[in-house]
Amino acid sequence: MDQLTTSLAPSRPSPKSPVAGTSQQAAGSTSNRLGNELMTLMMSSSPGISAFPKHDGNLFEWVGTIEGPAETVYAGLSYRISIAFPPNYPYVAPTIKFESLCYHPNVDPANGAICLDILQDKWSAVYSVQTILLSLQSLLGEPNIASPLNADAAGLWNTPEEYKEQLMQHYRPLKDDSP
Amino acid sequence: MASDAVRAQVSAKWQESFARLNRDQPGITGLLNFSRAFAISLSYLHPRDINDPTVVRSANVPHVRAAMSTVNESRMLPYVLDGYLDEVRKRFNLVQKDVEVFMAEYAESSDPDVIRRLVFRLLAWYEAWTPLPDLGPVILSGYSLTFQTLLFSNLPPTFATGFKALCASTLPSAIPPSASTPTPSDYKMWAAFESLGLIDRFESILASVGYEHIEAYVLEMCKGKWSEPMLEGLRNWMSGKVVPWMLLAYARGAKSTEEARNMLQGVGSRFDFHMNKTLCDLRTNEIFDIIIDFPDSMGALVDLRDCLQRVDQRAELVAALRKANQKRLLHPGAETKLILSQYVATIKCLRIVDPPGVLLFKVADPIRRYLRERPDTIRNIVANLVGDDDTGDSLVDENEPIQPLQQADAEDYSDPNWEPEPIDAGPDFRANKPSDILSTLVSIYDSKDLFVRELQVLLAQRLLSITDDNVERVEKERRNIEILKIRFGEVALQVCEVMLRDMTDSKRIDGHVQSQEESVVHPTIISKHFWPALESTNLIMPGQFQKLQEDYATQFTHFKPDKRLRWLPNLGTISLRLELEDRTVEADVPPLEAAFIELFSDKNIWTIDDLTKAVGAVDRAAALNALSTWVDLGVLKEDEEGVFRLLEVAEEKSALTKGGKARGTEANPGAGGDGVLPPVTQQQQQAEQMRIYWKFIEGMLTNLGNLPLDRIQTMLKFAPGYDQTVEQLGAFMEAARREGLVVVREGMWRLNR
Repeated sequence: MDQLTTSLAPSRPSPKSPVAGTSQQAAGSTSNRLGNELMTLMMSSSPGISAFPKHDGNLFEWVGTIEGPAETVYAGLSYRISIAFPPNYPYVAPTIKFESLCYHPNVDPANGAICLDILQDKWSAVYSVQTILLSLQSLLGEPNIASPLNADAAGLWNTPEEYKEQLMQHYRPLKDDSP
Repeated sequence: MASDAVRAQVSAKWQESFARLNRDQPGITGLLNFSRAFAISLSYLHPRDINDPTVVRSANVPHVRAAMSTVNESRMLPYVLDGYLDEVRKRFNLVQKDVEVFMAEYAESSDPDVIRRLVFRLLAWYEAWTPLPDLGPVILSGYSLTFQTLLFSNLPPTFATGFKALCASTLPSAIPPSASTPTPSDYKMWAAFESLGLIDRFESILASVGYEHIEAYVLEMCKGKWSEPMLEGLRNWMSGKVVPWMLLAYARGAKSTEEARNMLQGVGSRFDFHMNKTLCDLRTNEIFDIIIDFPDSMGALVDLRDCLQRVDQRAELVAALRKANQKRLLHPGAETKLILSQYVATIKCLRIVDPPGVLLFKVADPIRRYLRERPDTIRNIVANLVGDDDTGDSLVDENEPIQPLQQADAEDYSDPNWEPEPIDAGPDFRANKPSDILSTLVSIYDSKDLFVRELQVLLAQRLLSITDDNVERVEKERRNIEILKIRFGEVALQVCEVMLRDMTDSKRIDGHVQSQEESVVHPTIISKHFWPALESTNLIMPGQFQKLQEDYATQFTHFKPDKRLRWLPNLGTISLRLELEDRTVEADVPPLEAAFIELFSDKNIWTIDDLTKAVGAVDRAAALNALSTWVDLGVLKEDEEGVFRLLEVAEEKSALTKGGKARGTEANPGAGGDGVLPPVTQQQQQAEQMRIYWKFIEGMLTNLGNLPLDRIQTMLKFAPGYDQTVEQLGAFMEAARREGLVVVREGMWRLNR
């Protein structure tokens, strides 16, 4: 049976070319999707979150800004993040890191990596940059103490005064000229 | 001094020649016989003048044949032939004379029949001069070649024209389609052509006769007739009429149908191609009108599709349609509504012609770009969607199922029906999956938000125009919105939902307020945040109106303590009854009119400046407009420029009508010129566009820090449809700086925070 189907299948000129074509195609549609997301993000007025491509002509690397949500210890603080989209976005989650030093239970103090379920195993193609940014913003005020990347911060979370002190020690205000 | 050797050689030659001519006959009898035979041959092979009846070819053929064979045996035949051909050449002037006579006649009459007679005459000459057929093919072909060479070199250039006309006359005439079959005389004529070598010589003419005939027929039959597919009929015509003719011209001497078919194959497919090409050219030229006629022009489209498969003229079709669109559609004279409906028709038509959509993509691009520049495109599409169209013909087919807007998805390669893009698809071709028309229209803009916003404005306008007489229209709007929800999604239309709810809530609240304290005011209470910005003026209602509003507001605040009622006094209508000395006047008027007339209850004469001051700042044109309403009704009179007097007693009829006529054109009570929402103007559209760009600029300055102007310009490429120059951007940024949104230092812009 196997033999039969192989002989019936149209011969492929080379196994490589269709694959190359696919990824190129996908890159095109990913660009479209990212373009649309940028448009949506720009047009929506969600306070405190923002992102924009880093270089012209490249939609795959963005820089974002998140302001701490009001009425949390992060209120009034702004953090810069980097977003790198894989070529097969949105089927695979983008890679997001804090560029500014962020004192937070779920942010790795060494490299800015973030522990957030929707960026890992809970990722779904229906999420967009906007939803990610909103999730990150709310993560600032509501950390997940159960799986900390920064154990110090997780330990201090329940004592807000000390936490705030540590937070402010680590906080570096954004400079506008830093790209 | 001849040496022996030379002498011996000459003698040997002599002996050899003698032996050949004498043919081993005793003595010189052979030689004598030969000389007799040679003489007979020569005299027989003499090109006679067929006009001269005295010279008849000697009937003694066996005798001549014997003589010929004698000559042949002596291997002298070529000399006879050479001599004969020389003779032919010399005497060809006889033929020449005939040709001249016929051609002169033809030049006068232009009758192809002259040519026909000429051909038969030439054939007579040819046959008269033909040497005996049993002399073998070599002699015969030598003769034909000489004759034809002479003939062709002597035929005047006009012969070609005549020949063409003659060939054309043998074709079955196109109109009326007569059932003419080739007559025997036709067969004879074609045979004559063949013998004279005319067919080979004039093959290209023959072909052009066929082509022109086909062309003329196709144009005659198909021009402007789009309702039925024509191709089938044309094919039948080809096989019924043209093929018999082709048999004559191209398949002479075919012994079987099989053979004939083989001979016709090449030329037949050329002719068929030509037919397709002609039809394709015709339809390409007509394409714009075909699209206008859609769906009555279905047949033409099917033809075009079939022709395009045979003739590769897709690029020509695209070019023709783009040119026609440019010339006839995309200019300021065409209404946006027309452009839209033609665009939709184009979509439907080209989907028939080219299902993958490559042609459509190429043609649609300029239309879409043009539509994007038109300020009222969105308004038109949305108006059409909600059935606000006067003409009633909807862009969107009612039979098409209502479905959500489709986004261009990534290609699904696991689809078993997946097909690669057609070869002439450009690099930016987006596989236009057969999505519905509305999605295509909405995709003219990169964001559907614009539509949703326009929809809100339109809905607001329609809802506010609802009066007590036609409350059921709220339900109609609700139904519309429900349908649109399916297309645009629940979320997008939430605002519209709120607007509709405001309408019903208003009724409810009004009912409650009226039950507390009866009032003649019945406001529509709208939620400021959800309704599009409505034009508000500084109109202050005077006198009793003011009091009515205040009373109502008080009641409202009792009912909803957390809400504040802010009046939009310039909207709505007021039913008034004016009690004057001699009469009562009833009128439904916009608020400004009511406000003015209320003021006249205090004193009888007002200047327009005092009036406008008394109701807050109203612009003069609007005030004049409002006052003229009353002048038309015969309630006010303009005594001198800008001074109005209340007519407690009506003036005589004549003066009234005169005044009414003079103002009639500009004032129209009830229309309430300034009461409704102002339509979105082009400037507003532009401002809207700049608002989008501003969002992008804000976004990049937030995230990327300080940027120089040219960097902002390149980064704005991310904004869809961005088409401003650096200078325009500079002016825009400057304006933003004046408003305090940004600051600039050393050429670097940053947000002012």
